[in-house]
Amino acid sequence: MTCPTESGCNCEPAASETVQIEIVPQRILSPDTSEILLGRIYDCDGIIRVMVQGSRLPDKVGYGPGTGEKVDHPLKKSIEVEGQQVNMRVTLSRLLIEVDSDRTADEIKKICDETFSFPFEFYKGVFFKKYSTVVDYAKMGPEPDERLLGMTDPKGKLDQIVFIEKEEKDAE
Amino acid sequence: MAYKAQYYPGTTSVAANRRKHMGHDLEKLREISDEDLTAILGHRAPGQDYPSTHPPLAEMEEPPCPIRELVEPTPGAKAGDRVRYVQFVDSMYNAPSVPYVRSYYAAINFRGVDPGTLSGRQIVEARERDMEVVAKDQIETEMTCPARSSLRGATVHGHSVRLQEDGVMFDMLDRARLEGDVIIMDKDQVAIPLDRKVNLGKPMSEDELAKRTTIYRVDNVSFRSDAEAVEWVQRVYLQRTQYGFRPGVEKAQ
Repeated sequence: MTCPTESGCNCEPAASETVQIEIVPQRILSPDTSEILLGRIYDCDGIIRVMVQGSRLPDKVGYGPGTGEKVDHPLKKSIEVEGQQVNMRVTLSRLLIEVDSDRTADEIKKICDETFSFPFEFYKGVFFKKYSTVVDYAKMGPEPDERLLGMTDPKGKLDQIVFIEKEEKDAE
Repeated sequence: MAYKAQYYPGTTSVAANRRKHMGHDLEKLREISDEDLTAILGHRAPGQDYPSTHPPLAEMEEPPCPIRELVEPTPGAKAGDRVRYVQFVDSMYNAPSVPYVRSYYAAINFRGVDPGTLSGRQIVEARERDMEVVAKDQIETEMTCPARSSLRGATVHGHSVRLQEDGVMFDMLDRARLEGDVIIMDKDQVAIPLDRKVNLGKPMSEDELAKRTTIYRVDNVSFRSDAEAVEWVQRVYLQRTQYGFRPGVEKAQ
């Protein structure tokens, strides 16, 4: 199956046998809860990619009479995921995860049940882009890594993606 | 019998609260000192005199005018104060007041004010000391919950954003936060840091917010459950559409 657009490009859609899930907690998560949730999700087998969405947490006041003043937001903390320090640039308000099977998706739902003390929404569907767009072409060239499609917002930069590599377990 | 103004129709608690806000029948819940108020508004330093934009009216030779004789100037206008603003943001998660109600409240109960209504925020412009009276009245009474309402002059979003885990409305610029069991504000309206921490008081509980709110929500009091309010809103819309508010025209046809 090739790109359905009339651009004539040869980009291939991302593999469709994976399962994509969306988690929307009813509250904006604190850094502590975010660390626990992401840590437990990354401990699962079969995680392919994770995207965090939320409100921006700026370093400085962007406009108005206070422009340039330091903000120092309590939600803007460094959290540890898989032994790697990650600086929170946005609040954790929505999670998009691609996993290898329904079994992993159910496992993640169970983790959410145990982690959140408030209601949350959990959906399965298609949440990541399937095809390379013009913006993706401009950023990543003619043959992009499929796993990077839909991982940045259109105004974002490629270097803003945080790579968290899972440690290989001993195969002994 | 003296006429009693009826500001809003409806039989539900939300309608009753709207009437209370508009009619200034408000319960005082907390106190804020004048110095603290001046600090969080950020228009002048606490303790500083009000800067003026023109001499006091008594010292100006005003032309003879029957309207000027008829209308008593507000204290701020009399002293020649600058025009300054206060802007409130109210969370859609059962904040006690909402922008439209705050505007009705300001326009009905105070003179010399210019309320501006937006979807998630509400601004009042007035002479500085008149504006401070309006701001203090709203902060000290049941019109404001320090966790679900906030003073924000710039970067005002938060109204429609989900709450934080501690139940406080999200603020990108971190002007106010929960410390212990009270809300502390250590920046002014436009996020310039203050040299003091202003205690805004305890946040309301979820039950109290549900009881005091002026927002219709399907998970609390829905608008459709208030038959009287629906009837009057529909009547106003119908008459505005059909007759342009010309009473009696419908009877003549």
